[in-house]
Amino acid sequence: MKHVMYASAAALALTAGMAHAEGELKFAPGEGAFSWDSFEALKSMDLSGEKVSILGPWLGPDKELIESVVHYFEDATGADVEYSGSDSFEQQIVIDSEAGSPPNIAIFPQPGLAADLASKGLLAPLPAETADWVRDNYAAGQSWVDLGTYAGADGTEALYGFFYKVDVKSLVWYVPENFEDAGYEVPQTMEELKALTEQIAADGEVPWCIGLGSGGATGWPATDWVEDMMLRINTPEDYDAWTRNELPFDDPKVVAAIEEFGAFARNDAYVSGGAGAVATTDFRDSPQGLFASPPQCYMHRQASFIPTFFPEGTEVGVDADFFYFPAYAEKDLGKPVLGAGTVWGITSDSKGAQAFMEFLKSPIAHEIWMAQKGFLTPHKGVNTEVYTDPTVAKMNDILLNADTFRFDGSDLMPGAIGTGVFWTGMVDYAGGKDAGEVAASIQSTWDSIK
Amino acid sequence: MDQLLFAVSTIIVGVFGCVAYFYFSNIILDRVYPASGPNAGANINKANAIRPWLFVLPALLVLGLYLVYPVFSTFFLSMRDARGTFVGADNYTWLAGDDKFRESLGNNLLWLVIVPAASTFFGLVAAGLTDRIKWGSVAQSLIFMPMAISFVGASVIWKFIYDYRGENQGEQIGLLNAMVEAMGGTAQTWITLPFWNNIFLMIILIWIQTGFAMVILSAALKGISEETIEAAYLDGATPLQIFFKIKIPQIWGTIAVVWTTITVTVLKVFDIVFAMTNGQWGTQVLANLMYDWMFRGTPDFGRGSAIVMVIMLLVTPVMIWNISNAHKENR
Amino acid sequence: MEMAGTKSRLTWAVNLAVGFLVLLWIIPTFGLLISSFRDRDAISTSGWWTALSASEQNVIVRADVPDNAVQEGQVWVVSGNVFDSGAGDVTAFGITSRAPEAFAPGEVAVHANGHEITVGANGDYRIAYAEQPSGSRGQRLFVRAESPPSFTLDNYREVLFAEGMGKALLNTLTVTIPATIIPILVAAFAAYALAWMEMPGRALLIAGIVGLLVVPLQVAFIPLLKLHNNIGIGKGYIGIWLAHTGFGLPLAVFLLRNYMAGLPGEIIESARVDGASDFAIFRKIILPLSFPALASFAIFQFLWVWNDLLVAKVFLGTGEDQVVMTGRIVDLLGSRGGDWEILAASAFVSIAVPIAVFFSLQRYLVRGLLAGSVKGG
Repeated sequence: MKHVMYASAAALALTAGMAHAEGELKFAPGEGAFSWDSFEALKSMDLSGEKVSILGPWLGPDKELIESVVHYFEDATGADVEYSGSDSFEQQIVIDSEAGSPPNIAIFPQPGLAADLASKGLLAPLPAETADWVRDNYAAGQSWVDLGTYAGADGTEALYGFFYKVDVKSLVWYVPENFEDAGYEVPQTMEELKALTEQIAADGEVPWCIGLGSGGATGWPATDWVEDMMLRINTPEDYDAWTRNELPFDDPKVVAAIEEFGAFARNDAYVSGGAGAVATTDFRDSPQGLFASPPQCYMHRQASFIPTFFPEGTEVGVDADFFYFPAYAEKDLGKPVLGAGTVWGITSDSKGAQAFMEFLKSPIAHEIWMAQKGFLTPHKGVNTEVYTDPTVAKMNDILLNADTFRFDGSDLMPGAIGTGVFWTGMVDYAGGKDAGEVAASIQSTWDSIK
Repeated sequence: MDQLLFAVSTIIVGVFGCVAYFYFSNIILDRVYPASGPNAGANINKANAIRPWLFVLPALLVLGLYLVYPVFSTFFLSMRDARGTFVGADNYTWLAGDDKFRESLGNNLLWLVIVPAASTFFGLVAAGLTDRIKWGSVAQSLIFMPMAISFVGASVIWKFIYDYRGENQGEQIGLLNAMVEAMGGTAQTWITLPFWNNIFLMIILIWIQTGFAMVILSAALKGISEETIEAAYLDGATPLQIFFKIKIPQIWGTIAVVWTTITVTVLKVFDIVFAMTNGQWGTQVLANLMYDWMFRGTPDFGRGSAIVMVIMLLVTPVMIWNISNAHKENR
Repeated sequence: MEMAGTKSRLTWAVNLAVGFLVLLWIIPTFGLLISSFRDRDAISTSGWWTALSASEQNVIVRADVPDNAVQEGQVWVVSGNVFDSGAGDVTAFGITSRAPEAFAPGEVAVHANGHEITVGANGDYRIAYAEQPSGSRGQRLFVRAESPPSFTLDNYREVLFAEGMGKALLNTLTVTIPATIIPILVAAFAAYALAWMEMPGRALLIAGIVGLLVVPLQVAFIPLLKLHNNIGIGKGYIGIWLAHTGFGLPLAVFLLRNYMAGLPGEIIESARVDGASDFAIFRKIILPLSFPALASFAIFQFLWVWNDLLVAKVFLGTGEDQVVMTGRIVDLLGSRGGDWEILAASAFVSIAVPIAVFFSLQRYLVRGLLAGSVKGG
């Protein structure tokens, strides 16, 4: 009897939750350079009463942005979408799917994690035509298909992940006026960047702000550094082999890349607060040093999303700007670019979930975010006129000028490495441990999970 | 508002349901075996044999489902790999060779020695001192207060103590570094200092647990008979001698209880490490390591469960001690 | 005479020692309290213990844009004040990032491009150009300024209304209240049976429950969440109430049984002789007499559920209508990692209720703890 009463109380709670306020549309349909026809086309789907739950890693400003996109889907189809963000997304999605109560759709920051879930049969494969669609409509389409294709529980490969929102990682942020005041020039090659670093230090100033802190994910900013360095001293083929562990983690090539990072981060004179502060400084606090008076540092290497954490009112392009994290002129490796993206996968199949994935293919789903803040996309069908921010166009240039584009390696490695010992190993390295020792210990964990 | 209504209605339903269960099951029992009529005597005996079980049944059900069943389920999981294939003791052999596991085990043992000892010691000192002064109860409340603070809240609080600013990053906003600099020392990144960072994390738990130890020990001290103390006074013992030679030996039992209770808390310590360092810089502990394997990256319930079983193994002596104590009291 | 002297000196020493200990114990919390009333810049540039003195900081201010310059005789002038609120004292200023404190207030700095810049002690600045300037970006002014100590309630306003802490508070209450009351009821009956009713295997049951006291919670998460999904309650309030009931029961039964076992047996025996049923004895005698133990467990369970993060993360959903306060703070740590003022205020909101509960009810808490730990002590 008690049980029945609980159930009815639960039903009560459910109906209470239904009274969900619809958000307002950010841009009035029909106005501006948006592809409104793709929005109108969505209206052919009627999903009234259909609920779609989405779990992702985005919180704060990013959460508002994704919700502004979702509103268009709700408006066009009548579905009720609930997005929730979690700072510990990686753990949350594992707990939820293992226990059998996953959201409909999950937004994975790492393909590695999506591949893990797919291999356990916890992801639903996307419709067969999606792979062809991505191949045709995304720039470098095949590489995005490859990144989203995983082996399922029975070992057969299928497309499980759809990429939406891409980041460019090979960027160095700086304050142009500080460079002017000090008479520094934007470096074009890695040799120049190193010379500039030395010069700034010789001037009695501090060249870099580096912060690895990120709560449970502490260490990841260093993995980006190492990956960027991998692409700058080794061939792309080596890089690919490394992410698949065909090139062992403790190979001298990899150890050299780690030491390249150390040349910046482990030199007390090169980093704000000294080498000891690198591992404990939060990556979100770290860029603040650029804007201090007097400046606590002059450069900060971080992905395209970082302006979210600049002081309020900072105008990118004026108060702060970025340049391409350059390659060695003497090494014939071209201009490699490191990037990343979020993979969307269906964790609990439903009509609404399928429809939502279909929505992500429409240009409007990309344009709404593009028109607001920091959104890059490989979708060739979008109208780039909706970009309000000229700096994003500049980032696209970096993407276009790239001779090599490689996906964030730690995201491609198995979760226990890419979101585990690679992170903690880099923290140990920043703390003074020997690069070879750290690499060997990462390799031994990799061996243990094979 | 709806939500509040829901909560209130559930409380009513839940409470009412519980009371109704106990009330009606009792009545039914009395109907089935009426305490009057031809078999009254036999009926009363039968009813009396069943009644206690009616009373404990809900508790046993919940305990069985929420604590006993998971322990067994975890044990079986610990013999499987990440994909659920049976692998026997493989996870345990892997554990034995894993560096992080050894580090965690070492740290856990360090926590086990230091935190209960320090908390009990400070608790004893605080109890002994506050008993002798007028504003003792106020002082006790203030020292006990951290018990009411969540581990998450506590880690925000202690961030304001351990924060570090580098040379060119402005003045220190962490109290500890500000004090060190004021005394002419150099600021440190406390939570990355090898070995010592463990101690700094432990200080947070000691800060929380001392109040608990103090309250219990203070009550035990008050329970000591006045006569022995008076007698010692007359023999010319100093207050310190009385405290250590007369009072402490009499409350050994209580000290042991406090010690073990804190030991159990320590073994399960998770939140502080999770929030402050997430086990990096050599501060990993078993509970956090297990969380890592279970829920992060490539989830591997087999290894996670094996680590849980190790924690279980470590608490077993305390468990046995607790049980035998409870047993003694029952006799 | 001498005896009294040492005694008073000793009392002094004890008072001092206790004072020191108390100070040591409350300083961390006190620091958080102070910080929660300071604004962001103040928190990140100076320690909370300096909150009462004037703070000196270096700031960068952008002057009005050259396009807005007004002609004054021979020159074109851009002017304004560097302080948003108008309060503060400038102690030095500069015009390049390399020399942010090069000039005393009132001095004239000449820019490399020829224009003259001056900032007064009160924050008024004036930039004079020889010819009409143009540009939509104002000159950067580096100012060292002393501002009076200031405290603000904005952090609390933002936390409670903008960051969803108000809603989270409601969610926490929804979790906490039933999760405190249900285990008490279930445990009270069981405790009575285990203390005063004859049953085979009683000692074994008690031992088992004591053993369960030490089981690490983490073992329970996956099996139980699976169970909840199988029986159809999934992630939500009902699941977390049941989970907290289960996790709280061993302590509840243990505390209550110990307390009830200590009640005078004669009362119960004489009630039995008078023909009272066990149910009546429980309701009329045991419950009222056990009030201190019930209250103490209630406080314990309340504090534990209120402060819990892990169980909530596992058994509750991630939507707005289910996130509890501790979960919200952890999310804030992630999304607003650098915003100490938000963290401080939200942490304080979350600890205010348990501290209030604790201070108003602590005498019960102590009595119950004693029942559990110092039997007969």
